[in-house]
Amino acid sequence: MNKDYILGVFKDEESLVSAFEKVKEKGILPVEVYTPYPVHEILEGMGNKTRISHAAFFFGLFSAIGVLAFMTYAAVFDWPLNYGGKPFNAFPSFIVVTIVTTILSITILTLFTFSARAKIFPGKVPEIIHERATDDRFVMVIDKDSLGNNAEAINSIISEFGEIE
Amino acid sequence: MKDQLVVSKNFKLLTYVLIGIGVVSFALGFAFDAKRTWANYLLNNYYFLSLAVGAAFFGAIQYITQSGWSAMFKRVPEAMVAYIPFAAVFFLLMFFGMHSIFEWTHEDVVQNDPLLQHKMPYLNIPFFFARVVLFFGAWILLTKLLRKFSLKEDEVGGMVYFEKSEMYSRVLIFVLAITFSFFAVDMLKSLDPHWFSTIFAAKSFIAAFMHGSSIITLIVIILYKTGKLQDLNRSHLHDFTRYIFMSSIVWGYFNFAEFMIIWYGNIPEETIWFVKRWHGAYEVLFYANIIINWLIPFLVLMPRKTSRSKMFITPVIILLMIGQYTELYYIIWPSVVHEAKFGLLEIGTFLGYLGLFAWVVATWLAKASLVPKNHPYLKESLHHHF
Repeated sequence: MNKDYILGVFKDEESLVSAFEKVKEKGILPVEVYTPYPVHEILEGMGNKTRISHAAFFFGLFSAIGVLAFMTYAAVFDWPLNYGGKPFNAFPSFIVVTIVTTILSITILTLFTFSARAKIFPGKVPEIIHERATDDRFVMVIDKDSLGNNAEAINSIISEFGEIE
Repeated sequence: MKDQLVVSKNFKLLTYVLIGIGVVSFALGFAFDAKRTWANYLLNNYYFLSLAVGAAFFGAIQYITQSGWSAMFKRVPEAMVAYIPFAAVFFLLMFFGMHSIFEWTHEDVVQNDPLLQHKMPYLNIPFFFARVVLFFGAWILLTKLLRKFSLKEDEVGGMVYFEKSEMYSRVLIFVLAITFSFFAVDMLKSLDPHWFSTIFAAKSFIAAFMHGSSIITLIVIILYKTGKLQDLNRSHLHDFTRYIFMSSIVWGYFNFAEFMIIWYGNIPEETIWFVKRWHGAYEVLFYANIIINWLIPFLVLMPRKTSRSKMFITPVIILLMIGQYTELYYIIWPSVVHEAKFGLLEIGTFLGYLGLFAWVVATWLAKASLVPKNHPYLKESLHHHF
């Protein structure tokens, strides 16, 4: 963390978005933008594509198949028991367990995947770049090295809409 | 005017031809196979009424949630709702076919059946039609009021009529939830008066909502293709498909819950309904129902890209139109006709109703400005983006 950053701190969404777009016009992409809630223009503007939804879909698919396979193995092949005259392969009654287990596995596996990708773990010391970013302010982080000749222009853009720190 | 729909002569002619086909099919049907024709009559009545009721529910939801995105489309559900008075006439005319359709109207059957005698106070013809009149009266009254407010808003503007509409939408949702549940039980479940299923009403309601909202989407897409509603963008489509996606999951859940409980409980009075439906062609319909109404919409509309593209949405909606038909066929036919017959009679009567429905929607769309003028959320809707 020895890099130098410029922080733009904004009070509301509109000024953040206007400043963000002007900065992008200069050909500079902020390193990170912290917002109290998801702002759609920023999400699209940062150009970060998430693959977590695909991951979640495949977790769900595999866990659904896995749970069904396990229940079929247990109830049909390994230890067939007669429950109230039902066939051993009581498929409709497997569905409820499958749905519930699938939801559980998707939730837990996606959480772990996300934590691993975002390098978050219990007991981690939080890296807070600006104190109010955890509060109600919108903070835009720009790498100083990426500025080149535009430093002046960026400074003026940010101070037009918010504060520089 | 840009925002005014003019119904073309060809379209009107087409609907007249379709209505003509329907009338001819009914005339021939009554001459040859009255029972089957009455079953068709009930099916198509219910089919198109459920679309109109689904649209009424959709419109009311937009008001009570104060949705911004849908403001520019609200004339479409309003036009579909205009079909309800027509349906009222059809349902009242069912009086002449009661004996062909409902088992509990036969007095000799009731006399030898303690269960049907027990249900007599509810299932008898005068009270049945009293309910029909009451339900349709409430629906027509409330939807007409909402339509009136919506048109007044075009002239006057301001928040007065929006707030009034919101108020009456609350009433409408409450009334619809109760009355349509009773209505579905009356029209579909009482075909098998011995059968019990608590979730049946909820299932019918969500089916109506799902197919109603998919038809709204289809009409919006058609209007876009003919050069109207050019502000339609991918975000709107995404919002529309969220409704279809959500309600198809709920439908799948209800449908499975109904089946699972009965299958597991294994009480003869309840399983008989499914036993009847597991012979011959009906067994195919049992699986086709689940695949068409749940599996395909669920898988196709899940990714973000497909749920925003007309190319994927339109086939799904057309499939869902078939899905509502197969579901009703699956409910009505085994109890009324006893044989899985499908032929020109079914196609002809369906086309007749389709023509009438298209005529009603087009005429009512042309009666007012296609995009509302003074809706408080109109600007937000036109530039909707997420």
